[in-house]
Amino acid sequence: MGLPCGTRNFKYDTDMAILRTRTHWALFILLLAFVFTLPLYLPNRWIGVANLIGITLVAATGLNILIGYCGQLSIGHAGFIAVGAYTSAILTNALGGEWFMLALPASGIMAGLVGLIFGIPSVRVKGFYLAITTIAGQFIIIWVINHWGITGGFVGIKVPYATIGDLIFRTQASQFYLIMGIAALSTFFATNLARTRVGRAFVAVRDNDLAAEVMGVNLFSYKLLAFFIGCFFAGIAGSLLAHWIGFMNAEHFTLTESILYVGMIIIGGLGTTIGPIFGVIFIRLLDQGLLFLTPAIEGAIPALPSGFATGIAPMLFGLTIILFLILEPRGIAHRWVLFKAAYRLWPFSY
Amino acid sequence: MAELLQYLITGLAVGMVYALIGLCFVLIWKSSGVANLALGQLVLLSSWFTYSMLVQAKLPLWLGFMAVILFALALGWIIERVVLRPLIAQPILSLITVTLGLGYFIEGVVSFIWPWSVAALPRLFPKEPIHIGPTVVSQEHLWVAGISLLIFGLLSLFFRYHKMGIAMRATADDQLAVQACGIPVTTIFSRSWMFACVLAAVGGVLVSSIGGITFGLVETGLKAFSVVILGGLNSFGGALIAGPIIGLAENLGGGYLTPYLWGGIKDIIPFIIIIIVVIIRPYGLFGEERIERI
Repeated sequence: MGLPCGTRNFKYDTDMAILRTRTHWALFILLLAFVFTLPLYLPNRWIGVANLIGITLVAATGLNILIGYCGQLSIGHAGFIAVGAYTSAILTNALGGEWFMLALPASGIMAGLVGLIFGIPSVRVKGFYLAITTIAGQFIIIWVINHWGITGGFVGIKVPYATIGDLIFRTQASQFYLIMGIAALSTFFATNLARTRVGRAFVAVRDNDLAAEVMGVNLFSYKLLAFFIGCFFAGIAGSLLAHWIGFMNAEHFTLTESILYVGMIIIGGLGTTIGPIFGVIFIRLLDQGLLFLTPAIEGAIPALPSGFATGIAPMLFGLTIILFLILEPRGIAHRWVLFKAAYRLWPFSY
Repeated sequence: MAELLQYLITGLAVGMVYALIGLCFVLIWKSSGVANLALGQLVLLSSWFTYSMLVQAKLPLWLGFMAVILFALALGWIIERVVLRPLIAQPILSLITVTLGLGYFIEGVVSFIWPWSVAALPRLFPKEPIHIGPTVVSQEHLWVAGISLLIFGLLSLFFRYHKMGIAMRATADDQLAVQACGIPVTTIFSRSWMFACVLAAVGGVLVSSIGGITFGLVETGLKAFSVVILGGLNSFGGALIAGPIIGLAENLGGGYLTPYLWGGIKDIIPFIIIIIVVIIRPYGLFGEERIERI
């Protein structure tokens, strides 16, 4: 069903290829061209939104590897993003913005290592216990950030612009290329990870970890590996976020943010590569839409209570998560598959 | 010495409230196997509703509390019917995340209807402190501990002798067998959510009558998870014992460790306990160890 009629495989590498037909290639190149020329015709404000979407996508891809592929529920993702953000902020503050190329992987590795610490319980427990452990992890990380001297504490810390060679990423448009480049790379990595031995081991652990262990999958190392990879992505996203905003404090990394990340990958579709993309775009655009609509609605209906502006966003997000879980637990990605099948078979739907 | 006694008594009293809120989790977990992560938000919502009844509508105390209990029952029924009924027999991952979404939603509702974010309930208990030897103990804390103990007693009697309570325990044990006996499982689920919401409401009123209503109540709900983790997810007695332990650890640790560590350690101690317990003894002090088969 995934391919158009008449597509046949004669070699193993054509069978393995992600982009099979010429149409695939054409559409893919068109998409890339469209995405990477966005700064030319978007206003500055919307480039900012696109940047936020890119950063969130990197983090959500990591979370999707952890939850969607390996089945380890983590509700402390914002905490791991915070670790990456602060590592990058502290390193570039001490060494200068030119060291961004060092700070970026360093923040990923740092977040991955912290993720390993909170991932250790996953070897013995799962489900609710793991969820609670990661929530606890989030609170502990934020507490350390708020009280440790070098992070700037409650006040926050200023972050220099990212610099690679002579290139200083000062404007939204230049940062767009940095962020989208990394987002594209991480999506590419995640797509291929799912098809390797490691990815299949993750899926086996998700579906039934005891059976996976009997089959010879080492639970300890694969669960920890999933935590490391997921949190590595979070760290990279954190580093990008720090240099994009230019100022960090712990307000950016609340528990609600973590819940929102889980919501995004559920809305998009767990365990698919395209899912996080849909989910992130959906949630961030909903956010932006609310930003525009709320003042208009408040102006039109003066009888609304004053809490409307602050209350409507969490209400809508919570409602979306609940509705998706009840009505379409496989997320937008599944609808996308159905749509593709329908359009291939059109006009004869059998 | 006076300081120590002070910490001990405050810790025990606060711990009893944690235990009460934790109980609300255990109730749902025991009967339906749903991990309710929206605990703090339920506490928050019912505290604000109490505020509306007592302060804004100026109802007399008894009528106000009747209204709160009715509200909690209705809330529990609606949540079970609308959110969780469609998800019966879904994987645990969905059951956990749906309560996360629910908590998010309730937080939005709270800031929608009550945008002040901080308020105080009228005093329910006499304020004069009691002197026990050299220590000064606030009477409120003792009242709170007493009421929590009373509710514990009632609940354990209910689960031991009442038909509904026995049916709930049976459902927790084996849903299929219970269905075969002709017990309506969905009714049991619905009742347990209603009871749990009432517990959350009582816990909320008790906590916020002392500390006021803030968004910190959500964190109180999260701290109550350390009680269930330490006591064991499906043990009432465990919650009763673990609650005071957490309260003591929080207050003693907050009192004696703060000079050596960074400030605010008090709020982190329950979370540190969670991690330690999960690593060392995941099923808690009195929880039942699950043996899994393929």
